[in-house]
Formats: sequence, structure tokens, C-alpha cells
Amino acid sequence: MRGLRHIFFAVLAGLLVFRAVLQAHELQPAYLELNQTGPDTFHVLWKVPARDDLQRGIRPQWPDNCRVTSDPIIAQAGNAYTERFTLSCPGGLEGRLIGIQGSMAALADVLVRLQRTDGTTQIARLTPSQRSFVVESAPDRWHQAATFFRLGLEHILMGVDHLLFVMGLLLIVKDRWMLLKTITAFTVAHSITLAVATFGYASAPLPPLNAAIALSILFLGPEIIRQQRGETSLTLRHPWVVAFAFGLLHGFGFASGLTSLGLSHAEIPAALLLFNVGVEAGQLFFVLVILLLERSFRLLEIRWQRWAEMLPAYTVGSLGVYWSLQRTIILIKGLL
Amino acid sequence: MKPARYLPRKLTLPAIAAAFVALSQTAHAHIEKGEVGGFASGFKHPWSGADHIVAMLAVGIWGAQLGAPAIWLLPVAFPMVMAMGGFMGLVGIPLPGVEIGIALSALLLGAMVCGEVRPKLAVAVVLVGIFGLFHGHAHGTELPPGQSGLLYSLGFVIATGTLHAVGISLGLVHHWRAGKLALRGAGAVISVMGAVFLWQALR
Amino acid sequence: MSFSSKQKLAAAGVAVALALSPSAARAHLVTTGLGPVYDGIGHFMLSLDDVLPVIALALFAGLRGPAPGRHALFTLPLAWLAGGMTGLLAGNPPVFPITSFSFLVLGGLVAADLSLPSVVVTLLTILLGLMHGFLNGAAFRQAGSDALLELLGVMATLFVLVALFAALVLSLRRPWTRIVVRVAGSWIAATGLLLLGWSLHKTG
Repeated sequence: MRGLRHIFFAVLAGLLVFRAVLQAHELQPAYLELNQTGPDTFHVLWKVPARDDLQRGIRPQWPDNCRVTSDPIIAQAGNAYTERFTLSCPGGLEGRLIGIQGSMAALADVLVRLQRTDGTTQIARLTPSQRSFVVESAPDRWHQAATFFRLGLEHILMGVDHLLFVMGLLLIVKDRWMLLKTITAFTVAHSITLAVATFGYASAPLPPLNAAIALSILFLGPEIIRQQRGETSLTLRHPWVVAFAFGLLHGFGFASGLTSLGLSHAEIPAALLLFNVGVEAGQLFFVLVILLLERSFRLLEIRWQRWAEMLPAYTVGSLGVYWSLQRTIILIKGLL
Repeated sequence: MKPARYLPRKLTLPAIAAAFVALSQTAHAHIEKGEVGGFASGFKHPWSGADHIVAMLAVGIWGAQLGAPAIWLLPVAFPMVMAMGGFMGLVGIPLPGVEIGIALSALLLGAMVCGEVRPKLAVAVVLVGIFGLFHGHAHGTELPPGQSGLLYSLGFVIATGTLHAVGISLGLVHHWRAGKLALRGAGAVISVMGAVFLWQALR
Repeated sequence: MSFSSKQKLAAAGVAVALALSPSAARAHLVTTGLGPVYDGIGHFMLSLDDVLPVIALALFAGLRGPAPGRHALFTLPLAWLAGGMTGLLAGNPPVFPITSFSFLVLGGLVAADLSLPSVVVTLLTILLGLMHGFLNGAAFRQAGSDALLELLGVMATLFVLVALFAALVLSLRRPWTRIVVRVAGSWIAATGLLLLGWSLHKTG
């Protein structure tokens, strides 16, 4: 049994590391915006991450009654490729199907926002399994709310770096009270910066932000080891301070998932609230599963090998190192 | 990992349940409409006939009257015996006089509840088992084709189990004197209904 | 998943097998867009014909005590991986309603609370992992997805699921709560029996 366990963990750890590295930040969605300018005319903005395969590979697919009536204005700013053009659809878009053609494999999602002349909007999220949506006549509030909630939920459950930071925090807290304080501090802190960034009062450029988030994970690695050796430090006595400080950083990270939608000012409060609730629900779910697993291991009376006990700490630490290096290099490359 | 205890022990069970429900909820959102339909039609099926419902309730109530070990042996054994009947129905093994059997079992089980009869455990199990066989067989031959077999079966089993549980919960009023009397009254009603069903089946 | 009539005629046996084992036939190869590992997790959680036998196994292992639960926890993902690899390479699922038997046997064991030795529990675990892993692998092969990573997602889910449910049973102290577990087992077994009847009904 022992031998099997060794192999299992080695394989699992290896693959997890490999996968986590690949997945760390491929969260970029494409974005499609339709602004109604007349009964049958729309201004269209099409934005994809600036990558060769994406620029040519995927396109919106219009209903049969639509024609592009202007030459597209193409621009490339930062790491986004955009096209603007006007679309004419005699008979309107109501009840019509708008979809995406081409391979969506390399893309997170396509977020769609349709703004009507009466000021109402419809928001949709297209995925590889749901490649099209029907333009509604009246906006369905529940649907929009659910979309933002899901977006928040998926943002944290997919964001391996955020989850790893939370796991690091779980590994250094000693009791229930400390756990509560720490998780609350993290939640409050990232909610603050998420709100600030979404309202546009402040923003953090993505490359240094990602590097800093990686550093926050790297920071926790040695602290977990210290905790396991029975040593102490400021962090170990007051984990909530660290959770709060780094939580501010992670909030900016969450905001990147929301600001890319280009929401209008009137939409922000509701969207922000639901997105944040989604993030918190995802975080709570993750914490709950980890705690239940920990309790399960005790009920099953598993006696971990020393190396297995160290595994979480080293996973957090080494991924922190890896991402820090990788993202610092990206940062420096961007500056040069 | 240091064996710190984060979750209160009493919270563990609800927490696991909550986590699982949350998971299955997300899963549920993905399941196609047709499949949910399969579950729903399976779940509805046992509620479709009054004869089935009253007989199921009688099984639950009687189990509660009998107390341990019948109160826990029946819920464990009954679904499987019933599924056996369903299996026979599905593969086409004939069982003569199904409708009569069900009506008769409602009559008999009602009478047992009414009289608070306490036979030997084996006798009780056999009686309930025979009823379960008829009950399942009737459903087995009625299963609608072209749906998700798994979800239909699952819905069907869960609904039957729920009916059984309702019977047991009703039977728990057995602890009070007035409750005992009420149960015996209910048994009489079920028995009479069984007689009516029997008359209809024989006619 | 749909098959052309030509394929159906040519490989009637395979078609029957697919109809019998929903996990292979209508594999919900959900593309959540969260990467293949997440796809594996999503796919697994959606196929009740895999989830329920695994839960039944975890409940049974938990009923037997901490040691069998522990062994199942580490053995099942590995056996599943082995089965999955075989399925990926070997392809077609067998003409045999495996799923219904897993339901029937494992559910029945939980219902009976049969006190089997730890070795037998481990053997059952390996058997379950190999068979269902094989079906999984065959389904992934047909879908042409990033199968190894999906299998990894499935393994992680198995680990978590078995840990949680085995521990759940171990945490039960009152006698009636164990009865509730046995009732759940009997429901799973009953479903398996109906499912078996269903598949024979369809064939016949």
C-alpha cells in the first residue's frame, strides 16, 4: 500500500503542478458589444486577445438578415485586438440567433453585451458548449444576475493562484477563531479593491499585479513550514494581517474579470455585488471542501508520511516561486 | 498537518450534505431537460394510483407499530423486493392477478394496522415482500419507453422510499395513546379502501 | 451522441452496449471551458451511473471501518486510472450492462451491511475502478478529448468523494443513522435492479 501511495502522490503532484502552471492565467475572454443606434442598425465592437490564432480563428456569426455596412476599423492596443464596424439588420435582431464561429478551444469565453436605444441591455456569455444566444425582446433580470454570479464563481474556482493562496492561509491558521478572522479579512480586503477597481477609482496594470499575486503565494510557503516546525512569526500569530494585505492585491485580480466586460456606470453596482457574491460562494465552497477533507483524513485515521505532510507547503511554495519568476520575466519583457 | 479541529463535530454531517447538494445543484443545472423529465416521470409514477399509495403508507405505519427490528428492516428490504417485482415486469415474467394482489395487500395490511397485529417477523416480512413484488411488477410493466432508464428508475425508487418514510413518520404518533387510536382508525380506512379496490379488480 | 444507421447495422452489438451503458452512450463530455481537468470533474459529477456506485462503495468501505475506507480512498483513483488507460487504448465498451451490476452489488452490500474482510473490500474497489474507468476511457476516446488530463480530474474527484462519504459514515454514532446509510444502499441496489430489467427489456 505504501508504495502505491507514493506513486499516486508523485503522479498527482506532478500533473497538478504541470496543469496549474498551464492554467494559471489563461482566463482572458473575448468581448462582443452591440450598440443599437437606430431601429435596425448597430455599432459593433469585437475584441479578442491579440494572438494570431484568435484574431483570425474566431468571428461572430450574424443572423441572415444582417450585413456589415462599414469597413471595420482595426486597432491593436496592449494585448487586445479590436474591430469596430456598423451592422445593419432589416427587421431587427429580436428573436434572432447570434453565435460564434471558429475554434473556441484557446479562449475562456465570449462575453456579449447588447445595448438597446431605450438603455436596456442584454448580457450573455458564450462558451464552447453554448456557442450562440437568442436576442431577447425584454431583458431578463434573473438571467443577467445569474450570469454575473456564475462569472464570479468560476473566476475564483478557475483561478488556481487565488485558491492556492486561500489554501496557504488555511494551512497556517491554528484554530477556528483564527480561521474566521483570517478568511473574513481576506474577503473584506478583496471586496474593497474589487469595488474600487470596478468603479474605476484605481486600477492596477496586469503584469505587475500578477507578479505580486505570485509573490503573495511564495510568501506563504516558508510560513507554512515554520508553522509545521512549531516556530512562530508575526504572520503565524496574526495571519489575518497578511490575509488582509494580500487580499487587497487579489481584489484587483478579481476585478480584471469584471472590468473586461466594459460595464456602463449604471450597471456596475448590481453586477459588482453579484460577481462578488459569486466569488465569495466559490471561496466558501473551497474552504468547506478543504476543511471537510482534513476532517475526513482524521476520521479515516490516515497517518501521512513525513513527505506527504510537507507536500502542501512545498506545493504552495514551489508554485509561488515558479509563478513569481515567470511573471517577473513577463513584466520585465513588457518594460523593455 | 496539525490535527487542529476547525469544524464542530455536530456540523460535519450537515456540512458534507451541503457541499454535496451544492455540487449536485451545479450538476443539475447542466442536465438536459429531457433527462430531468425522466426523473420527474419516474418520481411521479408511484403517486399515480391510490391503491399503491395507501398500501405503501400502510407498510410504513405497520413497521412503526411493530417497532425494532421491523421499523428498520422493512425500509432496507422493501425497495429491493419491489425492484425485484419491477425487474420481473420489465423482462416479461408474468405474475398473475397483479391488480387483485395489490388490492388484497391493501386490505390485509390495513387490517394488520387496524388490529395492531404482531406476527413473527418472518411472517410480516413475507407478507410485505409479496405485496412489494406485486407493486413493483405493476410498475415494471407500465414503464414508459424512450426515457433515461437510470433517472427514471432513480426517481421511481426515491418516490417509493419517500412514501414509505411518510408512512413511518405517521406511524411515530404511535407513542401517544390518541395517536395509537388514530393509526388503528387509519388502518380501518385503508382496509375498506382495499376492499373497494378488490371489488373493482374482480368486477 | 448519435450514430448513423449504417454504423448501427454494422455494429449492432456495440450499439446495444452503448444503449445499455449510458456513461458511454450519452457521455456528457461537458466542455465547461475550464480546461480538461475541470472537464473531467464536470463530466464525472454529471454521470450518475458513475457517481452512485462510487458513493455506494465509499459508504460500504466506511461501514467496514477506517482501514477499508482508507484503502479504498487510495486504491480507487489508481484502479480507475488503469481502467481508463485501457479504455483509451482498447476502445469499445463491452456488451454487458456493467453499470446495473455495480449498482446492484455495491448497493446490496451497503444494504446488507455485510461484514467482509478488508481484502475483499479492496478487491471490489479495484474491480469497480477498472470497469468504470474503462467505460470512461472508451467514452473519452470516442469524444477525442484531452483524455489523460480529464482522467486526472476524475481521479481527484474520486479521491474527494470517497474521502467525504467514507468519513461521513465513520462519523455516525447513533444506530439509526447507520440504518439511513443502509436504506440509501438499498435504494441504489433497487435502482440497479430496475436498470438491469430496463436494459433486458430494451434488448428483448
